[in-house]
Amino acid sequence: MEEEEEEARALLGGGRDEAGRSLLATPVAARVPSALCDPSHLAHRLLVLSLMCFLGFGSYFCYDNPAALQTQIQRDMQVNTTKFMLLYAWYSWPNVVLCFFGGFLIDRVFGIRWGTIVFSCFICIGQVVFALGGIFNAFWLMELGRFIFGTGGESLAVAQNTYAVSWFKGKELNLVFGLQLSMARIGSTVNMNLMGWLYSKVEASLGSTGHTTLGVTLMIGGVTCILSFICALALAYLDRRAERILHKEQGKTGEVIKLTDVKDFSLPLWLIFIICVCYYVAVFPFIGLGKVFFMEKFKFSSQAASAINSVVYVISAPLSPVFGLFVDKTGKNIIWVLCAVATTLVSHMMLAFTLWNPWIAMCLMGVSYSLLACALWPMVAYVVPEHQLGTAYGFMQSVQNLGLAIISIIAGLILDTRGYLFLEVFFIACVSSKYAM
Amino acid sequence: MCGSGNPCWGCGRCAPSPMLLLSLLLFAAPFGLLGEETRQVSLEVIPGWLGPPQNLLHIRAVGTNSTLHYVWSSMGPPAVLLVATNTPNSFLSVNWSRLLSPEPDEGLMVLPKDSIQFSSALVFTRLFEFDSTNMSDVAAEVPGKLYPPYSLAEFYWNNITDSLDTATLSATFQGHPMHDPTKAFANGSLAFRVQAFSRSGRPVQPPRLLHTADTCQLEVALVGVSPQGNRSLFGLEVATLSQSPDCPSMQEQHSIDDEYAPAVFQLDQLLWGSLPSGFVQWRPVAFSQKQGSRESALPCQISSLHPPLAYHLPQSPIVRAFFGSQTNFCAFNLTFGASTGPGYWDQHYLSWSMLLGIGFPPMDTLSPLVLGIMAVALGTPGLMLLGGGLILLLRHKQYSEYQRIN
Repeated sequence: MEEEEEEARALLGGGRDEAGRSLLATPVAARVPSALCDPSHLAHRLLVLSLMCFLGFGSYFCYDNPAALQTQIQRDMQVNTTKFMLLYAWYSWPNVVLCFFGGFLIDRVFGIRWGTIVFSCFICIGQVVFALGGIFNAFWLMELGRFIFGTGGESLAVAQNTYAVSWFKGKELNLVFGLQLSMARIGSTVNMNLMGWLYSKVEASLGSTGHTTLGVTLMIGGVTCILSFICALALAYLDRRAERILHKEQGKTGEVIKLTDVKDFSLPLWLIFIICVCYYVAVFPFIGLGKVFFMEKFKFSSQAASAINSVVYVISAPLSPVFGLFVDKTGKNIIWVLCAVATTLVSHMMLAFTLWNPWIAMCLMGVSYSLLACALWPMVAYVVPEHQLGTAYGFMQSVQNLGLAIISIIAGLILDTRGYLFLEVFFIACVSSKYAM
Repeated sequence: MCGSGNPCWGCGRCAPSPMLLLSLLLFAAPFGLLGEETRQVSLEVIPGWLGPPQNLLHIRAVGTNSTLHYVWSSMGPPAVLLVATNTPNSFLSVNWSRLLSPEPDEGLMVLPKDSIQFSSALVFTRLFEFDSTNMSDVAAEVPGKLYPPYSLAEFYWNNITDSLDTATLSATFQGHPMHDPTKAFANGSLAFRVQAFSRSGRPVQPPRLLHTADTCQLEVALVGVSPQGNRSLFGLEVATLSQSPDCPSMQEQHSIDDEYAPAVFQLDQLLWGSLPSGFVQWRPVAFSQKQGSRESALPCQISSLHPPLAYHLPQSPIVRAFFGSQTNFCAFNLTFGASTGPGYWDQHYLSWSMLLGIGFPPMDTLSPLVLGIMAVALGTPGLMLLGGGLILLLRHKQYSEYQRIN
């Protein structure tokens, strides 16, 4: 969910970073034989770009593993929905705090290269522990795994942004942010559609369902995290090499976070925070619980339910850059936010109160989500002085994670006791409460 | 109220016609089938004649101008008669010597005979057990290899008088096979818990079917029986009476509302004729734990209704006594659970509920809580938008006046 900040930065036109200026075309590396190995050459930057994209792939792929395997997890681990949603809550808890310190850790403690390696290490370990929880039939181990995974996940995204700024500032930065965001969405989509299939293949080879099958499936899913880790190593090597050849500085997030700024936040900013929380909690926990909803209410097959559950991601991948450009051109962010909220409200109501084809509602939700992300995050920049921007974004992500953690648990509880209709009504109330703001 | 799938809002000119149709239908419908708000319900175990007790439970639900009779018995296979009459004074007459004879015709009657508006019967004939291992295809026709089925006609049933509870209007038939060579039922039993209601309401226990005074609930519970395989699925064969050559119709209703049975959006119904008539309704869900929590919910598959060709259904004396020997039956099978997921094997527990009644089947409506939240959630921002718009409008007016004066 941290990609909103990427969007924001992309739209703000280049971020707040002072580092990485020295990529000016002064090729010192005349001896380097091919363009691919020349850090100042476009071909080399494209190689770096693809590494950056795959760096985030693992974490996005694994973030939504629980949603893709909801029925399997609940069945094999014998947990109710409330406990299932704890898997998402445990991801969010560490990020309530870490959003403030991710930048600090990268700038002051690890440096960008080691920071990236450490964070991708965390997601690998987290995913492995998560999978081991399945193999040993220990749900608490799975929760621990998600906690470790969450510790690395959001900070890795910050690191990814920092790399992007460091390599592409003043060149193709907006495009790079757009591509990274698309890649994140692709990771989520691939996960949604692949994991169920993978589970059935593992089931066929092991001969039965059960927690072992689940664990092995998650372990295989963890390969994407290893891929991310390899990308982190490769990036660290290339970045160091570029520093040696081009005398390029190590990238910095440049984030200055002063918690004391919080007391100076204006009322509109607080409203933006509340809107942000209310909106996101009505989209992401719903996607987390959506698969069973589509299977039971609309009689979708498992694959079809996965497909429709991932459509929000599919739509926002290409639409985010388009809407970003669109909102930039037209301005009037508030109007667009209102439009996005109204559309989401309509789509939730369609899902709750009609038996219409849910593709309509989910596509609508995908479009409105993309629009909101593009319109809401840049609004922060209008209401906050620039020196507080880092704190404001950190705080916004923090409250968003806090909201997601709490609402995930509540949503699971509601579903277990009151069913999906009530859950949808609850989401509608969440979305609608923003209008009252 | 306007019939399913037929959006009644925005009908404009055509709006009165469904209402008209409904009211015509109501007037045309016989009194006994119209349903009543409350009924005087009494449960009575009809005392046997001689020898061992014969379980014969009579539920009599008296309204202002109709009486419903539900007669449950475990003579032969467990069975129930549903009879609706258009007088508050109809009664059940039992001729034990005839009922216990090999030709029980007319051994059991509801009198006066000409007051009967509707009658039918359900017979629970067999309990199936399937071996579901190696059956990964959930949608398969057969849930697995069939073990020898238990014939419920060859069960020994407890004395129902012991479990009769006039406060909750319930009674339980609890049984085990007379011949049990595998000792599967040594620590277990199959129970049919019957409950009647004097007014409408909803039980606490899932699937929380809405009941009215015209209905009667049956909960089938299999508890503590040792399964023959590691992953045994159980099923129940139910036979119904069909007066016409066609079988009664089976309906699947899809709804948007799963508030009372989380994640179950379907309601299955068996209808004996065009409404109002007799009906059986259930949610396609069973539970493998007593609390009926969502993680213990099992899917419930149902076969189509078919005339039983392969074998002769065991005779129920009460059905034979009431309807005579010239009757046709149709049968269907219910199967609880799937090879994957929770199942009977978890806690050796399985329960499933259904509602049977006469008249119009109860329909779920959105609960007041849902409607209230929707009203507040959508109403508040709506009002604020309206208020904000008005204020803007008024300010604009004042402003322009101010300008004009200057």
